[in-house]
Amino acid sequence: MRSRLPVLRQRRRYMVFVLESEDDSGMVQARDLMGEIASSQLSLFGDSGAAANRLRLISFDGQIGLIRFSHQHLAETRAALAAVSSIRGIKAAIRTKGVSGTIKSAREKYLPRLVKLSFESDGRRIEQKDISGCIIRTHGVKVDLCPDDRYKSAGSGARFLGLTSLDLCGGHEDADGTADGL
Amino acid sequence: MSYFELAGCYPEGSSSASRMALTARSLGWGGIIILSRDPDGIFMPGAAFKVKGIEVAFGAEAHAQGARALKSRIGSLSSRYPFVAVQGSSEETVRMASEDPHVDLLFHPCDIRHPLGIAAARAAAQNQVAIGFDLSPLIHLRGQARSRWMEALRHNLDLVRKFHIRPAITAGAASHLELRSPRELMALAGVAGFEADEAREALCWPGRVLEKNRRNWAGPGVEIL
Repeated sequence: MRSRLPVLRQRRRYMVFVLESEDDSGMVQARDLMGEIASSQLSLFGDSGAAANRLRLISFDGQIGLIRFSHQHLAETRAALAAVSSIRGIKAAIRTKGVSGTIKSAREKYLPRLVKLSFESDGRRIEQKDISGCIIRTHGVKVDLCPDDRYKSAGSGARFLGLTSLDLCGGHEDADGTADGL
Repeated sequence: MSYFELAGCYPEGSSSASRMALTARSLGWGGIIILSRDPDGIFMPGAAFKVKGIEVAFGAEAHAQGARALKSRIGSLSSRYPFVAVQGSSEETVRMASEDPHVDLLFHPCDIRHPLGIAAARAAAQNQVAIGFDLSPLIHLRGQARSRWMEALRHNLDLVRKFHIRPAITAGAASHLELRSPRELMALAGVAGFEADEAREALCWPGRVLEKNRRNWAGPGVEIL
């Protein structure tokens, strides 16, 4: 709600976050994400807490987002975002990157480091003694694997196994490209 | 002092130890202790040590059918692993684990029907057994179930404060998507009823225990240098 007097205007903070999820396409809808965040906030702090915080999603492109909240509710906002564990039944996590006082400074400070975020789709297979399956995607040394035995990942309700190329061939952490050990 | 997280990994969870370490490093953790009921069966434990910039340690979660079997299991695990935790699944287990000085951490389930008892809390304080608070129900539960869990947690926390027991906080992650950053965990702990300083101390505590347990102790208070 816009105040008529500038001195009565509430101070705001802007938080940049990155969404990490098991979604194959990597494109979660902004409406679904905001629904989950609002539900998490309402469930944790109730109607009065949600009204005091005035959480709004400013922008979201499928992976990186910017959220606005009241400057006195930083811890509450962190808790509300941390309590989101799935979006429309797909396992997800919201990783907070930083908080700033204006949209401009939030983008300048935290977005340049997040330029390389696109996942590569992959069609290769892993065949090892303990583990076998199709590689869903790779990102640097991170590898998401869809196991042939679905019960392998039943431990935490996840669809994919989270591995690294270090697990698969003992490659170096800084390895990339063809030297990723796959 | 850096913050330490306690987490599970594949095959009990769905991410390998190295992926957990990599994600924990990017979230700002200084170290990660991988807990497993069967530490010998962990998939590629050596790969986790290749992740630079984070301290990785493997701990054991003692698990047995009876109290006597659990006691002998704790004894054998404590000599091999620098960190031993026990999941307090029954009152008998809680009592036994709180009376054993080899146990570093006792996870209490925070059930309102079976709260932490005064005798167990006193024994834990005497034997320097920390009480672990797994905050994953705060993330995964909703509504009445979560409010009951929070009620039980506050009751346990009161006893922990009363008897000056060390608390430990963890997100109980078994997948890299379940890991949370130290700041997020502190915010969640604040919602659950922890003071900010308490939460910060609780996150640093596993690192200090790890450092003490890695030293070569000949007996209580006697160290071989």
